[in-house]
Amino acid sequence: MLASAARFDAQPRVAADLPAILISRQLATARGLHADDVVRLAADPSGGRAREFRVAGIYEPIPDPMRINASKHEARLHLPDLLALTADAGDPLALENVDAIDIAIEPKADADAYARQLAGRVPGLVAQPVRAVPGEAGLFVVLERFHLAIAIVTIVASTVFLLALTVMLVDERRETVGVLRLIGLTSRRILGQMFAEGLVIAGAGALFGIALALASEGLINRYFQWRYDTALVFVRITPDVIWQSLAIAVPLGVAGSVLASWALLRRGALILVRR
Amino acid sequence: MNTLPFAVRTLRRQPARAALGILGVAAVGALLFDMLLLSRGLVLSMQDALDRGGFDIRITATASLPGSGPRIPDATTVARTAASLPQVDAAVALRFGTGRVATGEHRPAVAFSLFGAEPSRLRPWTILRGRDLPLRSDARVGEILVNDVLARTLHLEPGAPLTLRPSCRRAAEALPPVTVRVAGVARFPFDTVDQGTAAMNRLDFAGACGEPQGDEADVILVSAAAGSDADAARNALARALPALAIATNAQLVGRLEESGFSYFRQISTVLATVTMTFGLLLITVLLTVSVNQRLGTIAALRAIGFSRRRVVADVIVESVLMVGIGGTLSLPLGFALAQWLDRILKRMPGLPEELHFFVFEPRALVLHASLLAATAVVAALYPVRLVSRLPIAATLRNEIVS
Repeated sequence: MLASAARFDAQPRVAADLPAILISRQLATARGLHADDVVRLAADPSGGRAREFRVAGIYEPIPDPMRINASKHEARLHLPDLLALTADAGDPLALENVDAIDIAIEPKADADAYARQLAGRVPGLVAQPVRAVPGEAGLFVVLERFHLAIAIVTIVASTVFLLALTVMLVDERRETVGVLRLIGLTSRRILGQMFAEGLVIAGAGALFGIALALASEGLINRYFQWRYDTALVFVRITPDVIWQSLAIAVPLGVAGSVLASWALLRRGALILVRR
Repeated sequence: MNTLPFAVRTLRRQPARAALGILGVAAVGALLFDMLLLSRGLVLSMQDALDRGGFDIRITATASLPGSGPRIPDATTVARTAASLPQVDAAVALRFGTGRVATGEHRPAVAFSLFGAEPSRLRPWTILRGRDLPLRSDARVGEILVNDVLARTLHLEPGAPLTLRPSCRRAAEALPPVTVRVAGVARFPFDTVDQGTAAMNRLDFAGACGEPQGDEADVILVSAAAGSDADAARNALARALPALAIATNAQLVGRLEESGFSYFRQISTVLATVTMTFGLLLITVLLTVSVNQRLGTIAALRAIGFSRRRVVADVIVESVLMVGIGGTLSLPLGFALAQWLDRILKRMPGLPEELHFFVFEPRALVLHASLLAATAVVAALYPVRLVSRLPIAATLRNEIVS
């Protein structure tokens, strides 16, 4: 159970008989706390009704993208300790109240059916499976769409530049192509050669891009993990991502090369050799 | 011939290449422009939304955002103390809760946000139809304001009765239903696209919550008096109410900028840097290949009397021309792209309708132009080096021999 908005005072002594708590790594770093330190916690901002606890250990909070910007200064208490600390003395039911109950069901049980059954048996209770409903336009679905849109724009810009570069590179070899035509090579044969060349260059470029992405993956993750003080992984290059990149980059590279070559080969051989 | 017409002719000699280069710069420039709009878009949008509300300062019990921290006790007295200061024009205490309206057997109830507001000359909402709540703070009036979403969902019009079950604590409650009359339809700040919202006078809200003597508020909205700015009013309030957290709109936005909005600033910085590097690399390659193909021509120009400075200027102007035309095209392209990306991001759940991710400010335009100008100059450095160190005789000889 998480104690939020608690006042926190560290005491420099050890007492094994005090109730134990866990504190987050971030809180431990910020307040210079270690295992077996004694701390005083109060739910009241003024420090009233404070109780002493022993730091049993320090934990890394579960990475949660929804709380990326939230302060990770947390402490975990046993439920009775938290209720004793926060319950309203004038409310006899306060010691019976919790915010939520996490339930682990049998591995093969239907979570939706169980949630419906439970909600039906206890009026006023909201029960829902932990996993998101498929197709729900959640925050991360929207962010994924945004990143996809940015990727599309980047691919369009790259394609335009790629075309410009291939036009220039092919143009640089116009005389060579003209001579090849004059000595009898067909346009199809030259185009095939350009295709093979484009395939090699696009493949090499795509592999270099993937290597660069793999090399920068750790750098980006380390930067954002430092920036947000979290163990969350921001960039993960999976085999799927690699195949997707290859499937887009290689055909685009080859198409650019063939398109530029085709535009050149449409001209006559004599024009190509400038005669 | 001057440098500019000469550079134009150079580009026109290879129209396909020039057009593709310019298009590429336009695409990269559009993405860069959008990242600049994104970097401060939410902050500007939030600042604008807060300022349009007519209140300059928010008072809360702690530094937590209104509604997420503890409530302000004895709120009426606090609001009166605040309003009595010469730097303050009005102070309105607000209490947040939720309401539910049953829509029939076996059908889910309609849930909505419910405000309890102290009657005041300044209101934190805008009336669209019907009339405002009566300005009575001594008795209940039995009326409610609803927003357009709630009016549409429940088929409500001014004068219609509405039976609702309020919930005023953060724990589950089962309060008895209350029936009120709809006074009007209003627009509330920070409503999400499909969020239902309603507002009642404080006494009606407290009565519905079963706390007729309750005098707590989640937030007190304060507007600065004419002739006094928000900072002066904040300082006066901080002296008069030292136990409470008092923040101006700018401070609130600054706090959000440091926490909630920093993800988009970070992502825009990373993408803008990648975009700039990508653009720089590709313009450099385009110019370098172009110059390499024209080495013979450039050597010939040097031989007939063109100075080194002149041919260097030609390359720089060619770069500036390509980036300049592409950069100009990138603005309308960037605006169109920003609309599309904004529509995608605005589908985020729980996002207020009036917030936008991509917001134009003159600073973004200046920064965009400066970055592209720097790109044009830096991209020209290597080709300029090639041109400036070109050995005239050897190049001409090689050209003739080849």
